[in-house]
Amino acid sequence: MIARRLFTLALGTLLAAPVLGAVPKEAPDITLTAVSGKPIRMADLKGHVVLLDFWASWCIPCRRSFPEVDALNRELQPKGLTVIAVNVDEQQKNAYTFLEQYPHTMTVAFDTKGAAAQAFDLQAMPSSMILDRHGRIRFTHEGYTDKTIAQFRSEVLQLMGEAE
Amino acid sequence: MMALRTRLMVALTLVGAGLLATGCATVQPWQRGLLADSCMVFDANNSAAYMTHWQESREGSMGGFGVQGGGCGCK
Amino acid sequence: MACAAGCLIAAASYNWAQNQLDVSFHAFQDSRGVTVLSPDANFAKDFTDRTAVKVRFGVDAISAASDSCARCHPDGANNGRIVSSVNVTRKYGDTKLTLGGEFSRENFYSATTALASIARDLNKSNTTVAGGFAYSFNQPELHPDRITESQHSFDAYGSVTQSWTRKTVTQFGYEINQINGYQTNPFLRTSVNGVMTVGNSPDARTRHALSARLRQALPGDTFLDADYRWYHDTWAVDSNTLSLGLSHHFGSSVVGGGSYRRYTQTAAYFYEPSYTGSPEYYTGDFRLFPFDSNSVTGRLELTPKGGLMGMPAGTGLTLQYERYKSTTGFEAGIFTGGVRIPLK
Repeated sequence: MIARRLFTLALGTLLAAPVLGAVPKEAPDITLTAVSGKPIRMADLKGHVVLLDFWASWCIPCRRSFPEVDALNRELQPKGLTVIAVNVDEQQKNAYTFLEQYPHTMTVAFDTKGAAAQAFDLQAMPSSMILDRHGRIRFTHEGYTDKTIAQFRSEVLQLMGEAE
Repeated sequence: MMALRTRLMVALTLVGAGLLATGCATVQPWQRGLLADSCMVFDANNSAAYMTHWQESREGSMGGFGVQGGGCGCK
Repeated sequence: MACAAGCLIAAASYNWAQNQLDVSFHAFQDSRGVTVLSPDANFAKDFTDRTAVKVRFGVDAISAASDSCARCHPDGANNGRIVSSVNVTRKYGDTKLTLGGEFSRENFYSATTALASIARDLNKSNTTVAGGFAYSFNQPELHPDRITESQHSFDAYGSVTQSWTRKTVTQFGYEINQINGYQTNPFLRTSVNGVMTVGNSPDARTRHALSARLRQALPGDTFLDADYRWYHDTWAVDSNTLSLGLSHHFGSSVVGGGSYRRYTQTAAYFYEPSYTGSPEYYTGDFRLFPFDSNSVTGRLELTPKGGLMGMPAGTGLTLQYERYKSTTGFEAGIFTGGVRIPLK
């Protein structure tokens, strides 16, 4: 009897482990500063699907990803997507030089001290995270390829389709 | 002049120290702005191949320099 | 000579996602009055997210054979050299594998090279460990006999690049090269018992090179570069090469810099200014003589914000001048002008 209960408990734990391990992580509650100077608090973004794209003027793949992410923002913002392109340049003048060359409509925020990058534990540049309406990190991407935007679109639409 | 064996031992020690350093230095991915500057990248200049060939046509030595690492470190 | 370092560096040095076309012109003039113009083009493109191709094509007349032509043909001789190479790099996660080849041809000499190299990024790209191998089959043609000789060159290298801080990166490298076959310069002569005679060099040579390099960001948008190489081979040629340079950003569009290179070399064990008796080996090849050299280089790079002469933003213009002087009395000036055009 006891052995049977123990066996059931062990089996249940084994089956539950993948599900338990896959619980999405809550995004850190930090505050970014937009180019306009306006503060953007992560907690205020709950209720929206959010794409956070970490980029830098010195990041060569970002020269391709930045305009592509901006195009995605124009496409899906009417459907409720919020895109924030977080710049990690230590000198803002370098970011401004880049932004002059790449016209954009998405929100750009500065993270000159790397606090947001550290809070989100970036492992590579560029990095992107997609948050669901509950503020949880559901998808993480490192690097940029020709398939990345299609992946973003598919993941964002999936999250938009989930119940609030 | 140091013996060849001694120089090779010194070289292996330096390479080994470099490998050990993999556990020491951790420049975070978002902190690589200066490392990505063209002035910090080894052989950023495509004329390096031409200059190497010209030098090897005039001098008795060759090679020894490794290949790129450092830089942006982007994926 | 063997492709060796130039090929491996050109092949394995690749900035991912940096699609670009580089076109350079080199103008060379030396103390004998030899003047040469050498165009060189490098094309780099990503074809998929994991595969990139680099192609190089160049024409030049700076080679041991060409240098030797000027001695007997001061009014000039057909001494162009064509070099072309293709390298394919494939990414597997943090590992890059490169396969490639190079072919060069000039009057009285051809070289065919195959190479493979691998590089792996570790510790969030703070460490890069790389290694490679190249095989060259070279064919010097004796002149005026028109007999074709051959040599086989095997080359291997290893390197470790380490980012220590946000401002400091070092690289340590080692390269070994083994050449077997005909290695005498068939054009250069030396005096043996008073008679000018084509040299006779040994058929085997093993070459070792160790290098240490530093790049250091200094305050005020200034950067230091320092390279040192120690070289030794089984012909007893030993050399030390030290190069020091500084570069500076003048605003966001201009980079200026200068460097100094000091080179010292001992002679091959069979070198003599002239020979008597029945020497087994003897040489008139200036590359095996003892000498020192100093060279100074100045460099300017312009990358205007809005592009250059109708070419896209990010297009850069490079101007460089090097002045080289050795204790053998040889002096040369090399001017390089180049354009780097980013591609989508």
